[in-house]
Amino acid sequence: MNERATLSKDEVRTLFTEYRQASDTEEQLALRERLVGQHIGLVEFLARRFRNRGEPLEDLIQVGTIGLLKAIERFDLDREVEFSTYATPTIVGELKRHFRDKGWAVRVPRRLQELHLELTKVVGQLGQDLGRSPTVAEIAEATGSNEETVLEGLEIAQAYNFTSLDAPIDTDEGGSTSFADQLGEDDEHLENLEYRASLAPEMAKLPERERHILYLRFFKGLTQSEIAERLEISQMHVSRLLNRTLSSLRQALEEQ
Amino acid sequence: MHPEVVAIKIPASPIYLQVIRLVAAGLASRLEFTIDEIEDLKMAVDEMAAYFTGTNGRDGTIEVRFEIKDDCLEITGAGSFAPGEKVRTDLTDFSRMILETVTDSASLQQVNGTPTFNLVKSKSS
Repeated sequence: MNERATLSKDEVRTLFTEYRQASDTEEQLALRERLVGQHIGLVEFLARRFRNRGEPLEDLIQVGTIGLLKAIERFDLDREVEFSTYATPTIVGELKRHFRDKGWAVRVPRRLQELHLELTKVVGQLGQDLGRSPTVAEIAEATGSNEETVLEGLEIAQAYNFTSLDAPIDTDEGGSTSFADQLGEDDEHLENLEYRASLAPEMAKLPERERHILYLRFFKGLTQSEIAERLEISQMHVSRLLNRTLSSLRQALEEQ
Repeated sequence: MHPEVVAIKIPASPIYLQVIRLVAAGLASRLEFTIDEIEDLKMAVDEMAAYFTGTNGRDGTIEVRFEIKDDCLEITGAGSFAPGEKVRTDLTDFSRMILETVTDSASLQQVNGTPTFNLVKSKSS
């Protein structure tokens, strides 16, 4: 995603035309990547409008990028409207939906929301400095709080999961850009497991990103921190996505 | 020296799993587990306890024992249920895959007619 808004309106339209006409998957992905790069600034701008709500900016940018990808797929070239005008409500809608569906499911005091946000940052930063996942004591020291508070803050991440038991799983959420880069990895093991565990229909309902995280955690053996680094999201977001996915699969299995 | 033990009894409902997760995390933190290891432990507890609570809870209780050893935590959960509550005690392939990844050992079985799970998680270093 190195290419940022450098094209004129007409050039963007040309890029869209090429993208629509591309028949080769690889070519399509490359063109889509360029379209994303051209508009990532817009996503960042819109994501920043939501940054005071207790979610790390990088996670919001990821959510916004999903909205951007949807807009790219749906944009109708025959219309006279500029793409950025068209995409804005889709991106904002995706961000709002993120807060509505995956936001604080139970009422969480502002103090804890802020703590959660701070922890998200500190866990990532300490992980980089130490070259390994930090301990609770190390986080407490870095944030100037005590271990109990840190534990409480970590558990708060689970508050997101309470909604997932009732919420339908999104089928079209996958495919952020950093994620799209990694597609094509061998998911054979996962398919094998689906078959054995008769999970196939449930796995198929998972967004691509969630499937991929499952694969990285349980077949590649990557830790949550390693997955976080690879997908450029926070470790706590990985934790949340994994726990949500597992609990929905668990429920689906129970109902079988 | 005998390992120190913490024991808690909760209703067999998913609502109370948070308590178990918090205790597990608190004890793991005393052993200086990393965040990744603590997350793994919580995931394992959730996975196992789900067999006893189901999605909607069951009529019964779960007694969870935490044994704090030098560099590992051993967690045993024993379920006690009202007659008629069906609790499966064989791990699915999916559970086994999860537990193999996030714990050192994990088992689920009937012990003298009591559904019981056992988890061991040690520190990496």
